[in-house]
Amino acid sequence: MSVGAQIALQNAVNGLLIGGTYATVGVGFSLVWGTLNIVNLAHGALVMLGAYATYWLFTLYHLDPLLSLPLVGGALFAFGYPLQRIVINQVVRAPFLITFLLTFGIELVITNLALAAWTADIRSVTTAYSGRSLALGPVVLPAVRIATLAIAVLVAFGLQVLMTRTRLGSAIRATASDQEAARLMGIPIAHVYALTFAIAAASAGIAGGLISLSFPIFPAMGAGYTLIAFVVCVLGGLGSVPGAFLGGLLLGLLQTYAAAWLGPNFDNIVAFGVLIAVLLVRPAGLLGRAARFRG
Amino acid sequence: MARGPQPRGANRGALLLAAAALAAALAFPTVASTYYIRLLTGIFMFGALASAWNLIGGYAGYPDFGGAAFVGIGAYTTGILMVRAHVPFAAALPAGGLLAIVAAVAMGSVLLRLRGHYFAIATLGFVIVLQQVASNLDITGGGTGMNLPVARTFTAFYYWMLALLVLAVTAGIVLPRSRVGYAIAAIRENQDAAQVLGIEPLPYKIVAYAASAVFFGLAGGIYASWFTFIDPPTVFNVDFTIQAIVMAVFGGPGTAFGPLVGAIVLKSLDTVLTNISVFFHDIFFGALVVLLVIFAPRGLAELFRAPGGIAAAIRAEVRGQRI
Repeated sequence: MSVGAQIALQNAVNGLLIGGTYATVGVGFSLVWGTLNIVNLAHGALVMLGAYATYWLFTLYHLDPLLSLPLVGGALFAFGYPLQRIVINQVVRAPFLITFLLTFGIELVITNLALAAWTADIRSVTTAYSGRSLALGPVVLPAVRIATLAIAVLVAFGLQVLMTRTRLGSAIRATASDQEAARLMGIPIAHVYALTFAIAAASAGIAGGLISLSFPIFPAMGAGYTLIAFVVCVLGGLGSVPGAFLGGLLLGLLQTYAAAWLGPNFDNIVAFGVLIAVLLVRPAGLLGRAARFRG
Repeated sequence: MARGPQPRGANRGALLLAAAALAAALAFPTVASTYYIRLLTGIFMFGALASAWNLIGGYAGYPDFGGAAFVGIGAYTTGILMVRAHVPFAAALPAGGLLAIVAAVAMGSVLLRLRGHYFAIATLGFVIVLQQVASNLDITGGGTGMNLPVARTFTAFYYWMLALLVLAVTAGIVLPRSRVGYAIAAIRENQDAAQVLGIEPLPYKIVAYAASAVFFGLAGGIYASWFTFIDPPTVFNVDFTIQAIVMAVFGGPGTAFGPLVGAIVLKSLDTVLTNISVFFHDIFFGALVVLLVIFAPRGLAELFRAPGGIAAAIRAEVRGQRI
């Protein structure tokens, strides 16, 4: 195998591995957008909280980051439910400028509270297995990245089962497609909204935990992940778990190849370029239902 | 125009009041301390930003979240010309405004094809991208930022910002009364219907976007020279846009003086919060946005607007928003 082909293959593998994390970032965002019709600008802040939760459990209690994921997810679930039930539900049907401002305000509060509590220091989680990798022929597979991809697949699978095979999933989908009809069928809308948001927050928390294993942790890290969530969602189509997963993998591939060609400091530029290109060329996303947004 | 607002924004009383306020503002630095001059300069800046956002967000109904992109473009153009080419401020500033227009036309011709959430987040992404571009370039000083020459007197910036504010408010008075303004109102109320009537939407939207951008760019240029230090996160800062939106929305979107009133009220409140604690200021501001959105989504507009128009439209939608 030539060196060029080897590098291309390695980049493909790296891209798919990081793409799993992107998928986990995007899937909850997509769920909230598709169900509540809210673009949650605080989604990245929830990812940040998940990363810090993982970091502190690891640093203070030496809890393995992969084992602490259920705890982190649970904590973010418990944080997300009242946030939606008490705060966001107040304006959930308002024009989107209002919900945009609201979630931005929430993002501002969470991010700056984190800054006040934990300072702007950049932190990282380094486990005993952080440096390990697996050589598969010419391709090197970092152990951490394999684990994160596996968990990302698990999270996506779990969410898909939840959405398609459970009563709660049916209730969420019913609410998403027709709120009034769902209410008439006896579905408690406010509760379902809060549960949907809590599930999304839990997945964002888990995504933060996965991110903490490979990327720096700091209070302002959220904004970039909100953009990633949006791109993943646009690539995959609204409210579709498999779509978000595919979108995540695709974005991971694109960013990895772009980083190889352009250098490491162009990730947001590439994400944005992809976003605009997809919006203009393939409006409904790759697997998504059509949305009316051309004007 | 059944539910569309009349080209309102200024009656004779309001204009007289504005003229009196302007006269007072012109005389203010001769009697006031440096602290209050600086405070007012800040209020003028955000009054200008809110009025500028109003041109695209209020009159055209396009929720732009990318105004900070033009603040950054104006700040860096002014800074680079002053530092690298030794161009005087008064000549560098218009170049910043011009480049903001060019960027608005270029990006607007792509982004203004999108609607709603998609337009909003795409403009937000635009800011994040330019921040990264500025960090990667050499001419901007990269991530370390750049220092501008220190001015001899800060009172000059007071008058620059005041002039900018007057221009931005004037644009808000003139635009809705012009032919372009009628087209923009038609597009906002019903784009498809406007198109059927022979109004090609995109060029008009670009005009509104560029008109908004030039004020953001000029404000950025003055800001850069005033603060003498810029780096990517401080000028490509989404907070500029968010504050402008919050002020315009609570002051009354689609009115000539509403955004300015919103800026005066909120910036004063903001100053009080800063005086309580600089450290917790951003948390306070975030909480303020959340509380205002939940408890007063109609904002101050209620006090200033007769029935009808955008305020009524928002009100009608807000009435049924709770679940």
